[in-house]
Amino acid sequence: MKMNQKRTLALLLFTALTFTQCKDAGENVEPDDENELITTITLKFAEKGTTTVNTFSYKDTDGDGGNAPVQFDTILLKPNTAYTLTVEMKDESKTPAEDVTEEIQEKAEEHLLIYTPAPATLLTYTYGDKDANNFNIGLKGEALTGAAGTGKLKVQLRHQPGTKNGSAVPGSDDVNLDFTLTVK
Amino acid sequence: MSFPGISTVKTKCKLFNKLVYSFLLILFSVSVFGQNSNCACFVKGVVRDKHSSQPVIGATVLIIGQNSGVFTDEKGRYELRDLCPGTYTLECRIVGYSAFRQTIDLTSGHIEDFSLQEQEIHLKDVEITAHRSDTPASQPLSTISGNELENTRGKSLAESLKGLPGVTSLQTGSSISKPVIHGLHSNRVLIMNNGVRQEGQQWGSEHAPEIDPFIATRLSVVKGAAGVRYGSDAIGGVILVEPEELPFDKPLSSELNTVGFSNGRQGVLSGTVQGGIKTLKGFGWRAQGTIKKSGNIRTPDYYLDNTGTNENNFSLAAGYRNKGFGIDLFYSRFDTKIGIFSGSHIGSVTDLLNVIKNGEPFIKSGFSYAIARPNQNVTHDLIKAETHYHFQNGNKIQWTAARQINNRNEYDLHRSRNDSIAALNHPELTFKLSTLTNDIVWDHKPIAGKLAGQVGVSTLYQYNLMSGRPLIPNFNQFNIGVFWMERLVKNSWELEAGVRYDYRKLKTYRIVSKEKLSDDFDFKNFSGTLGATKNFSGRLSARLNAGTAWRAPNVSELFSDGVHHGAAAYEKGDASLQPEMAVNTIGSVKYAGERLTFEVGGYYNFISDYIYLKPQPEPILTIRGAFPYFKYTQTDATFKGVDVSASWKFVKTTTFSSKLSYLQAYDRRNDNYLVMIPANRIDNQLKYDLPDFGNWHQTYISAGNLFVARQKRVPAESDFAPPPKAYSIWTIQAGSSIQLSNKHQLETGITVQNLFNTAYRDYLNRFRYYADEMGRNISIRFKYSFGA
Repeated sequence: MKMNQKRTLALLLFTALTFTQCKDAGENVEPDDENELITTITLKFAEKGTTTVNTFSYKDTDGDGGNAPVQFDTILLKPNTAYTLTVEMKDESKTPAEDVTEEIQEKAEEHLLIYTPAPATLLTYTYGDKDANNFNIGLKGEALTGAAGTGKLKVQLRHQPGTKNGSAVPGSDDVNLDFTLTVK
Repeated sequence: MSFPGISTVKTKCKLFNKLVYSFLLILFSVSVFGQNSNCACFVKGVVRDKHSSQPVIGATVLIIGQNSGVFTDEKGRYELRDLCPGTYTLECRIVGYSAFRQTIDLTSGHIEDFSLQEQEIHLKDVEITAHRSDTPASQPLSTISGNELENTRGKSLAESLKGLPGVTSLQTGSSISKPVIHGLHSNRVLIMNNGVRQEGQQWGSEHAPEIDPFIATRLSVVKGAAGVRYGSDAIGGVILVEPEELPFDKPLSSELNTVGFSNGRQGVLSGTVQGGIKTLKGFGWRAQGTIKKSGNIRTPDYYLDNTGTNENNFSLAAGYRNKGFGIDLFYSRFDTKIGIFSGSHIGSVTDLLNVIKNGEPFIKSGFSYAIARPNQNVTHDLIKAETHYHFQNGNKIQWTAARQINNRNEYDLHRSRNDSIAALNHPELTFKLSTLTNDIVWDHKPIAGKLAGQVGVSTLYQYNLMSGRPLIPNFNQFNIGVFWMERLVKNSWELEAGVRYDYRKLKTYRIVSKEKLSDDFDFKNFSGTLGATKNFSGRLSARLNAGTAWRAPNVSELFSDGVHHGAAAYEKGDASLQPEMAVNTIGSVKYAGERLTFEVGGYYNFISDYIYLKPQPEPILTIRGAFPYFKYTQTDATFKGVDVSASWKFVKTTTFSSKLSYLQAYDRRNDNYLVMIPANRIDNQLKYDLPDFGNWHQTYISAGNLFVARQKRVPAESDFAPPPKAYSIWTIQAGSSIQLSNKHQLETGITVQNLFNTAYRDYLNRFRYYADEMGRNISIRFKYSFGA
């Protein structure tokens, strides 16, 4: 019986040790980043035959929530004019800012940019780049404005890993912004 | 915790009848003396403690339906006199245990027989499984055990409980399911896993309980606020997952379960081996393990891509009993990998509206067992030590210490765009929650033979570490609670009252604009319970309970700030939230006749400062477009409803049973309905029992229908799509138990769920916007038991 009690005591001691925990969650807080964050998108409209470049941006440096977006420009273009449109995307929550455009270019087979003007007569977009599977990308292209008017230009970055087929349907949005578009 | 025992029923003639039962920890012996047929029969016996063989003082013994309840005296004896010949139900109660009942036969026929000559007839061995339950006896307790539980084998915990009235589930597809009691879930439902409060990341609606139901031989649901005994969070109710008592000094026995499901081509294998040790008296052990593998789920018309699961669980238990002393050690590991339907990643509101418009997912897939991104990988380890000592004078002390480590890794659909980071294949979200709980409960010996009770203290220490995409802060949390409950039994009345005080300290750490920020919170609250049970007759009883429970806001309610991609909503927390408090009144009437049984229960749960996501007028603009903006806000809410269950054996072989759950929830402050409240439902079943055929016993076939109404009580303009239509699904079942030999038994069952392959959607499934529920599912199960 004594033996049993000793065993029990040893067991209890072992148990007590097992159940001890001492840790402070505060020591382990690390600023961590969202993998996929895009904080800034800049549309560069270079008027053909000139050196004029019009840039329009959306910028929310701390990402979703927190502070409101610091910049959301109205796109102002001339009527019946041809522009070369290039896009730049960045993650400015990190220092130094990360160039997302480059990453998208590298993973072009997973991404598709879509430009949808409303009304459709405001602007016509023509893709100027293709991925390895001969599908459009949309980082570079041509924009031809129509008659004067005001509307919206929806800019979408579709993330379509493994499913990109040239259409907008597969995948999900990484960017989905309605810029105000004024042609005058 | 449960404590089964074996009891031998023997009849000894010449007006002498001896029944020996072991009940819980108690050896409970009853002697029945039938004298003549003129109401002069009596029942007497001794109630003993199983460990110490000491008599139990102050246990209540009563004949149900006769206003004759007695308490055991200082030698554990009791005597019930002046009984007429007939069949009675004898009930024994000790505080801290659910009632134990046994039918005794005092018919005159027997007595005549007995008077002829003295002989001892061994009738049969009856295993009585009685269970410890700390629940207030006046609160309704619904249980699934035995055959009913066998029928749910292979399903998750929440799916197993769905058959109980008032219990539904909150789903993320078909693979993630959380129990909902009377419309409340997640942090408002407490799960007691083997006597320990389950601490995972319950706040998340796509975080299923990390429990293998094969551990349990009994699943119970306590409906209504039960804060006094269980502490915070028990607002909607408590789920008790209870394994069998360890087989102290018993021979080796084993059990093997295999279940196959056609949908998802799921296979489940679970085995248990247990026994005592011959050379070590008072010792018992058990080892148990489960493997589960499932592939893509099929709705009636299409497969859901990446919806497989992979689960590997095991548990080890050992215990020792010596006189009044007992110790149990328990370790369990739960390890699951769950694929999340790849079409459920919603980038923007446009994405969601497009798929709703399409009516079915854009992603098409065939069958596969492979689990790709997105997925969840969760492990939960529980180590528990429970010791108790029964003093000779009737007092008892119990100490339970448990440590839980919950590791949750969530992998998003998309890896990092940066190749070197993506190659690491790290989860985008990692939570590590570590919890230490200690509970000490003192059961005092009955005072004046009428009043029994317990006092206890519970502590919890917890820390949470998370990394990855910012979602919830890290925190340390400390909680202490003290409670006191007393129960008075007098004649056919049973009254109980209890009070509890809890104090919780929470310290959170998070990064805001690259600065470390810490916040301190103090929450404290009283809870109370008051209840009464009245036994009108052996068959009819009524109970009424008013109880309170509270819940401190959880870290996600305090600090959420971002887009919830499953819900296409921007959710923002509020650090100034106060604890919510529930006052729940629940009453029920139960009738148990030979052919007809029914239970009708009604409840009214008032929750002040109920925390919910309130839609805000202005959307939040993000780079993925504008998202509807919801803020955690408090209101006063009421949850009222009725649960009815009835079964009627209208001919000897055929039973009709019906279960109804009706619930109305309302936001009192804003005069509006609440979102995500389960729709009302009725479940009917017709069961035909076949006579025994050779060694085939308990053979039956049954057909059932579940009708779920459309949820019409929803706030206007609060959702992307209206709640799904009402649905009706059919299930057929058959089962039998085959006695292969004295020691070998095989149980088998076949079930066809969703018999007609009906396409339907449920309001409480987050995939309701774009995907149907599971189509037809045929399952076959075998349970082979060897030994005891």
